[in-house]
Amino acid sequence: MTDNHQQPILEVKDLKKHYPIIKGFNRKLVGYTKAVDGVSFTVPAARTLGLVGESGCGKSTTGHCIMRGIEPTAGQVIFHDRERGPIDVAQADPNMLRHLRLNMQMVFQDPSSSMNPRMTVFDIVSEPLVVNNVARGKELQDRVAELLRVVGLLPEHMHRFPHAFSGGQRQRIAVARSLALRPQFIIADEPVSALDVSIQAQTLNLLQDLQEQFDLSYLFISHDLSVVEHVSDVVAVMYVGKLAEMAETEELYHNPKHPYTEALLSSVPNPDPEAVKNRIVLAGEVPSPRKPPTGCYFHPRCNYAIPDCAENAPPLREISPGHTVACHLAEKLTLRGVTAVRI
Amino acid sequence: MENEQLLEVQDLKTYFYTERGVVRAVDGVTFDVKRGRTLGVVGESGCGKSITSFSVLRLLQKPGRIVSGQILYHKREDDGNEEVLDLTNLNPNSVTMRSVRGAEIAMIFQEPMTSLDPVYTVGNQIIEGITYHLKVSQAEARDMAIAMLGRVNMPEPQRVVDSYPHQLSGGMRQRAMIAMALACRPSLLIADEPTTALDVTTEAQILELLRDLQKEFGMAIMYITHNLGVVAEMVEEAIVMYMGKVVERAPVRDLFYDPKHPYMVALLQSIPKLGRKNRARLQAISGMVPSPFAIPPGCPFHPRCPKFMPGVCEMSEPPVIDLNSERYVRCFLYQ
Repeated sequence: MTDNHQQPILEVKDLKKHYPIIKGFNRKLVGYTKAVDGVSFTVPAARTLGLVGESGCGKSTTGHCIMRGIEPTAGQVIFHDRERGPIDVAQADPNMLRHLRLNMQMVFQDPSSSMNPRMTVFDIVSEPLVVNNVARGKELQDRVAELLRVVGLLPEHMHRFPHAFSGGQRQRIAVARSLALRPQFIIADEPVSALDVSIQAQTLNLLQDLQEQFDLSYLFISHDLSVVEHVSDVVAVMYVGKLAEMAETEELYHNPKHPYTEALLSSVPNPDPEAVKNRIVLAGEVPSPRKPPTGCYFHPRCNYAIPDCAENAPPLREISPGHTVACHLAEKLTLRGVTAVRI
Repeated sequence: MENEQLLEVQDLKTYFYTERGVVRAVDGVTFDVKRGRTLGVVGESGCGKSITSFSVLRLLQKPGRIVSGQILYHKREDDGNEEVLDLTNLNPNSVTMRSVRGAEIAMIFQEPMTSLDPVYTVGNQIIEGITYHLKVSQAEARDMAIAMLGRVNMPEPQRVVDSYPHQLSGGMRQRAMIAMALACRPSLLIADEPTTALDVTTEAQILELLRDLQKEFGMAIMYITHNLGVVAEMVEEAIVMYMGKVVERAPVRDLFYDPKHPYMVALLQSIPKLGRKNRARLQAISGMVPSPFAIPPGCPFHPRCPKFMPGVCEMSEPPVIDLNSERYVRCFLYQ
């Protein structure tokens, strides 16, 4: 790989999304649900950043805030546009947003609910082109046919409706739609979670091929740690609205520094019947972001917690080049990474 | 008592008679579950693994119908005598079938929110099963329900027993489902994708719980899943299904280290494996699962099979080939 991955395409700085909690007849503000609470990361150009975490940790909200599908409460989202240079998405006016959305697109989890069942594939894939006045008439037809070919579908099928396609094919249609405007950056929110195992591999390969072909950068949001390992160059782990750890994929998986990362990695069912089963089963459940614990949000479930963990929230800090962790004990603990599956 | 038969399914065929044609959802499935053991049923969506379990419990909805085959259940009375019931001969609503369903064979489902009734408390739903099958009073049943909730590591069982499903988290709902299923101490538990909707750390908790409960209660588990990692960890033996047929049966160690059927080989190669990071492409299985209305002739896997032999595979259905006493495969390669 070339060295240009130092060049970022997206920088997220201290992103926050706080939902007010309003109670009672007087609609009194009693607190905030801190869905995303000060998240910072950088997506390198033509690379993939994997964002993992359990449901409710704020990973999808982060994705939507970057797209301004949800208005962020605070923070900066800097998109490095190839033509116009850095733009703060969080402050962009509607005109600028229009331009940005030509360059940033999203693929959603469930392909059957993210497409209008009354629109044909042609309507679905051509809509971004029509709305943005990019193409019309014969040219539009050709563009859609080309896009379908790129994602491995037959252009002859463009006048069919989504229900005539299988789940994997529908996800290809969704990918074709997101590619229609030739974006530089795609947020893929659990793109393979709803697909069967044999179809997952096809879709992951497709995303990888497209990345090479079009120099795409991905923010890949998923709860599946093996999939994230496979596609990502850098991985960030989220827990209750905050980043717990971030590092290059191999470093994070083999040398985790946060006890939560260690537990997550050890929980993944291993497709090797003779693998040594020394799984760390965490007690309790993920706390709600409405009422997070004091100090480090992970301390009630952490096996290594010391009294300080309940009082002071650990800041995210760099403990070795490119490896950031939010844990007081990061240097002191020796944690277990993944052991390679043998089969 | 370890190797005694508990459930024998022989050449089970369950078809759906729809307006568009006949869907052969389960087409000649044979397997057995031994007392106290764990059998895995592996396959992708639409392969018939859930319909197989619905057939066993006689919970099929119209237009589905068991067309042929036998489902023999070895029911053990308290005095140690065994009675063999052919579940296919029973009326789904009969007293006998009802006494099997829930008390002898219990089931937990994938999505606990849709399988629990939202308008009854968790306790109500557990107690309903207990009072139907056992001769106990309402108060005793309630105590049993609380004890069972405690046994599945539910926090604050005294309070949860009066909670509604929406008040519980996903993991807690699945615990409530397990408590309900095990309340009458069934001999066979059918677990249909019990952890698919859960997060990994919760999944780890539930898998450990199921393992502990199996040790304690000595029940057999039929574990239905598409997650190969879960299969490797949870089961002793597994059958692999594709388009309504069992394509391979093997002890789980053999299945993962030395898979025989090209479908299973391809499935294992297509999953990303933890700890083996490389930028190489995954070896995807080409094509897609065929439509149930147009199952390919011959071996249903032949259009996607990397070892397809023209003139053989599409001509006739491959026979079941016994490799040894514990293993068989349905593929012409091993003839």
